[in-house]
Amino acid sequence: MFRFFFKKESRVEELIYSYIENFQLIYGNFEKAVLCCIQQPLCEEFDFLKRQTHKYEAKADDIIDEINNLMYGKVLIPDSREDIMKLLLAIDKIPGHLEIVLSMLKYQHLVIPKEIIPETLDLVKISLSSCEALSKQVITLLKKGKGLRELMNKIDRYESHCDHIETELIQQVFNSEIDPFIKLQLKELIICMGDISDQADRVSKLVNILSLKRRV
Amino acid sequence: MLSLLGGIFMGWSLGANDASNIFGTAVASRMIKFWTAAILASLFVILGALISGQAGIETLQGLTSFDLPQAIIASVAAALSVSIMTLMGWPVSSSQAVVGAILGIGILNSQINVSGLGKVLICWFTTPVGGAIITILLYRSIAFYYNRIPISLFSADRLLKIGFIFFGSYSAYALGANNVANVTAVFVGAGKLSVFQAALIGGLSIAFGILTFSRPVMETVGKKLVELDPFSALMVSISLGITIHIYTIIGVPVSSSQAIIGGVLGIGIIKGTNTVSMKTLKNIFLGWFLTPVVACVLAIIISFGSYLEYTGP
Repeated sequence: MFRFFFKKESRVEELIYSYIENFQLIYGNFEKAVLCCIQQPLCEEFDFLKRQTHKYEAKADDIIDEINNLMYGKVLIPDSREDIMKLLLAIDKIPGHLEIVLSMLKYQHLVIPKEIIPETLDLVKISLSSCEALSKQVITLLKKGKGLRELMNKIDRYESHCDHIETELIQQVFNSEIDPFIKLQLKELIICMGDISDQADRVSKLVNILSLKRRV
Repeated sequence: MLSLLGGIFMGWSLGANDASNIFGTAVASRMIKFWTAAILASLFVILGALISGQAGIETLQGLTSFDLPQAIIASVAAALSVSIMTLMGWPVSSSQAVVGAILGIGILNSQINVSGLGKVLICWFTTPVGGAIITILLYRSIAFYYNRIPISLFSADRLLKIGFIFFGSYSAYALGANNVANVTAVFVGAGKLSVFQAALIGGLSIAFGILTFSRPVMETVGKKLVELDPFSALMVSISLGITIHIYTIIGVPVSSSQAIIGGVLGIGIIKGTNTVSMKTLKNIFLGWFLTPVVACVLAIIISFGSYLEYTGP
């Protein structure tokens, strides 16, 4: 009924949901890019998917900038302004990690050795599952839905699983006969992949705190 | 018109200072633009004064009997004591200043309505206590539903903003109805103004104070209350309106600052934190005691001064 008086608020709401949709596109695209790279390293399709990921990441930055400008225009109440910006900036670190992984694969001409492909795929899939659960958790927070804690616990489990895979992968890399220089590069790549679920877990805990803070 | 200047000054200063209690939180946190708040507050103060200001005016004019010079002295003494105490940085309530000044005139006339005065004193004491109790009751009952209604973060935001505007306007109405007596009741007692004229002039002078000088006060005082979370701040705002409205029905002008401090104290009790420092509480008690005393003494001194005549060398 009062939406007419809250045009800017409605715009912020639209932008936040479009940010989340865009975030889903980024990690969806990232998954395709990694799979493509594993099947056929450094092919044209990988290049295209990497460019797409970068395009979506840039769009995410544009959305955050627009939200930021609206926030400076005093949209929403101060507590919500602060919480939403803190949340978006925390989520925005994840696309950054995804892009770093793709850049490492492309610019360092990294080829994932056959012996670690299954675990690497597991690491990517579980990391992206944590991103998927995170976007659900954020939507639940915005809509004041139920099940926030369950989603937080789920993401926490994914993160522990990823940590476990990450350690195993690094061990496997250093136990293999690969060139030592490549080993270091692969180690860096694996750590970067592990950062995805670590950041998702941090954001998930932040979402939980914001939800508790909003309870009166 | 000149004889009303003391009262008009009193109304102006009341509007400039007390508007911050109503819309301070919302304006300081940029939830509402200053001019939206100022216009709403002015409009509702005038409406409150005209529609419900009669009871307070009758209570104050009934505390003693005045002639016009005494009414002028009472209003000037009250206005002066508010100004002096504000300049000295002491907490001040215009309601207490006016009653103190009327009491001074009553002492000189040897005529004080003791039962009326007793009613006023009880109301002064119960204002912050009432503010705290109402805030606690409101918070507990509204929070119960607020936590359970399935509305999005954005809808909750809109609801809070609408709440601030709606209940801010209601508090402004209650403030106008309650405090207009401080501005012009003495002139009704002296037969200079009718109740309607007193309510109109009083309401307009409070509104003038809000429109011309409330911005800096709103922004500084409001920031002190912003430290409360938005929901708590809204509960304090609703409680302020209800508390003042109750005293308006009883017919006793009370201090909106003391009502709001009671409300903030109530939030502190709910959350188990110190929302009001001991220093602020001491200042309230100091204000309770000093304001009427200073106004009473000033009224007596000015009255004696008015009898002095120049006799020449």
